[in-house]
Amino acid sequence: MQGSVSLAAPGKAAAAAFAIASQLCGAAFLYLILKVDGGWQVVGLLALLGFGFYLLERLPWIGDYALASFARASLLAMVTAAVVVVAFPFVVGSNTYMLHLLIVAQLYAVLALALNFQLGSANIPNFATGASYGIGAYVSALLAINFGISFWLTLPVAALAATLFGFIIGIPSMRTRDTYLALVTIAFGVVVQQLLNNFSWTGGPNGLVGIPAPSLFGHSFADPLVIFGWKLPSQANFYYLSAALVVVAIVTAHRLHGSRIGLAWNALRADEIAAKAQGINVAWFKVLAFAVDAFLAAFAGTIYAFYVSYISPDNFTFLVSVTIMTMVIVGGMDNIFGVIVGAFLLTILPEKLRAFADYRLLFFGVVIIGFLMIRPQGFFPQRMRRYGGDL
Amino acid sequence: MTELLVQQLVNWITLGCIYALLAIGFSLIFGVLNVIHFSHGDVATTAPFISLALAQALATAVGASGPAWLILAVPAAVFAVGLIGVLLDKLVIRRFRDAPAMMALVATVALGIVIRELIRHLYPQGSNPHAFPRLVSGMAFEVSGVAISWFALLVVVLTVALVVMLFVFLRLTPLGLRIRAASEDRIVARMMGIRDARVFRATFFIASVIGATAGLLFASYAGVTRFDFGVMAGLLGFSAAVIGGLGSMPGAILGGLIIAGIEVLAQTFVPDGASYRLVFVFLLVIAVLIFRPAGLLGRTVMEKV
Repeated sequence: MQGSVSLAAPGKAAAAAFAIASQLCGAAFLYLILKVDGGWQVVGLLALLGFGFYLLERLPWIGDYALASFARASLLAMVTAAVVVVAFPFVVGSNTYMLHLLIVAQLYAVLALALNFQLGSANIPNFATGASYGIGAYVSALLAINFGISFWLTLPVAALAATLFGFIIGIPSMRTRDTYLALVTIAFGVVVQQLLNNFSWTGGPNGLVGIPAPSLFGHSFADPLVIFGWKLPSQANFYYLSAALVVVAIVTAHRLHGSRIGLAWNALRADEIAAKAQGINVAWFKVLAFAVDAFLAAFAGTIYAFYVSYISPDNFTFLVSVTIMTMVIVGGMDNIFGVIVGAFLLTILPEKLRAFADYRLLFFGVVIIGFLMIRPQGFFPQRMRRYGGDL
Repeated sequence: MTELLVQQLVNWITLGCIYALLAIGFSLIFGVLNVIHFSHGDVATTAPFISLALAQALATAVGASGPAWLILAVPAAVFAVGLIGVLLDKLVIRRFRDAPAMMALVATVALGIVIRELIRHLYPQGSNPHAFPRLVSGMAFEVSGVAISWFALLVVVLTVALVVMLFVFLRLTPLGLRIRAASEDRIVARMMGIRDARVFRATFFIASVIGATAGLLFASYAGVTRFDFGVMAGLLGFSAAVIGGLGSMPGAILGGLIIAGIEVLAQTFVPDGASYRLVFVFLLVIAVLIFRPAGLLGRTVMEKV
């Protein structure tokens, strides 16, 4: 209580400046990495990113300072974030490829946040997130194609169907654990994918085509979006829609993390037997984690189906689930911000590595392995829970 | 009817042996290192490619092509794959020994991608399927009207021989004793003066050699090999090892036979079963793990408080 301004406790103005500047820098970096095309420019940007994390690792007070600034100027930071997210399509303009990448990255961010409840909070492996994603996409697409039900109605129905699936996978989780549980979820994922691939009413390997575009207040999402005379490509509709979903996912994650449920999950992760001894209903909270994961994943699946208007079983394979899992681990388990960064990076990176043409998957695999070796705790490792009071 | 039954029985035994060999590798590595080596299936798939490339190189070096070169190339390829396994352990897998289980799993899945892509790029026209001949051809004898091929016989004999050798090695040799000690408790084993680096090297070599044999037999059974066969081989071998009980050798063999059994059953008796075979296999996996959460022959670990 000396009242002096230390580095870890920024003043109000400094905090505000830092919050705005860091978000603008982040947005600029995202813009650059979406914009560049040449292989070496991508590598350069990656090196820059690597240097940033090196600094974070060597000088831990930077992280503390950033956290303190955002906590101090939280309202301003949120307003800045909202402005950046809303303004981004205007900056991107008519570059539909960039918008497409952003939409897919946002949907993956939702999926990674969904998995984070399980893997991050409760340390329950789940390789069936891809399947829940697929169930969401297929249920809503089938409803829309066969019965002409509107997008907004299929959204909750698909989520309910996937949640039911989540409960079903959750049941074996009461008995099995670790690697055995991982295999159970892999098995569920493969079964769902294979069934989608073989049933005739799901279109088999050809999938479903011609999913109608949703509309809102008479504005079809297939039409260009016109705001104050600015004409944005039709992808902008889905950009804002998926951004809204990301916000919902973040708020859900944040609220759950702060609630009794989040605490119970963390207790499960720390020690299952101790949690049981404290009166936590272990089985229920495990199943609940599966259900919440499936619920959010189905939302992402529904938006994906209506966005690309064509889905096939190949979009929901075992490797998709592994990718989502990698996003959570690379981003930082149980850290909402880290998971989102992981999702964006791992969505955009393989696309940008197209400069390496045929070698991009190879490069991608090497990057992931290298990353897991160098920074096993993820970009932004989880922090201690704080309950207000002293900073 | 009997003909069909005998024919399917032969198919089951052949496929079951191949899966069992794959599962042994998963189980052995997990038992010693506590790491799921998910790229084991991809390591196994490199074997047919290496033998094809070696046979090609030998044929061009001598100037005469013939099936004999492949027979020469196969043992060399198996040995080479054993070394590849050791190299992968040294470069990647050992760093995840003490990491959380899921991190090792994700890392080895990424490693599988790297191996597949390397096969695709290093082997000429690696994206295409390549024909792989039967290692031995011809029919050995007849059982109630069904001719049993030499190949099926070779698979069974080779599997039994490898399993017996592995058993003898683990039970009766000093290195085998050290491997068992390290899988029991690595820290205590170290205190007893066992160099775990050596144990890991030996484990990876043996597991990869057995996996390579499985990969070669599978390519020979299917008559074709492709760079991405390793994904399914890995999933099925891993499933076999898990439902048998990870770390248990008899369990791995049992698991391989069960998985092959349900696959053959589905293909024979269910209409359109061939396309649904994976559904049946993985439903069985789920069912087994619900009723036996530690696998069929796995040790149920009592949690100490």
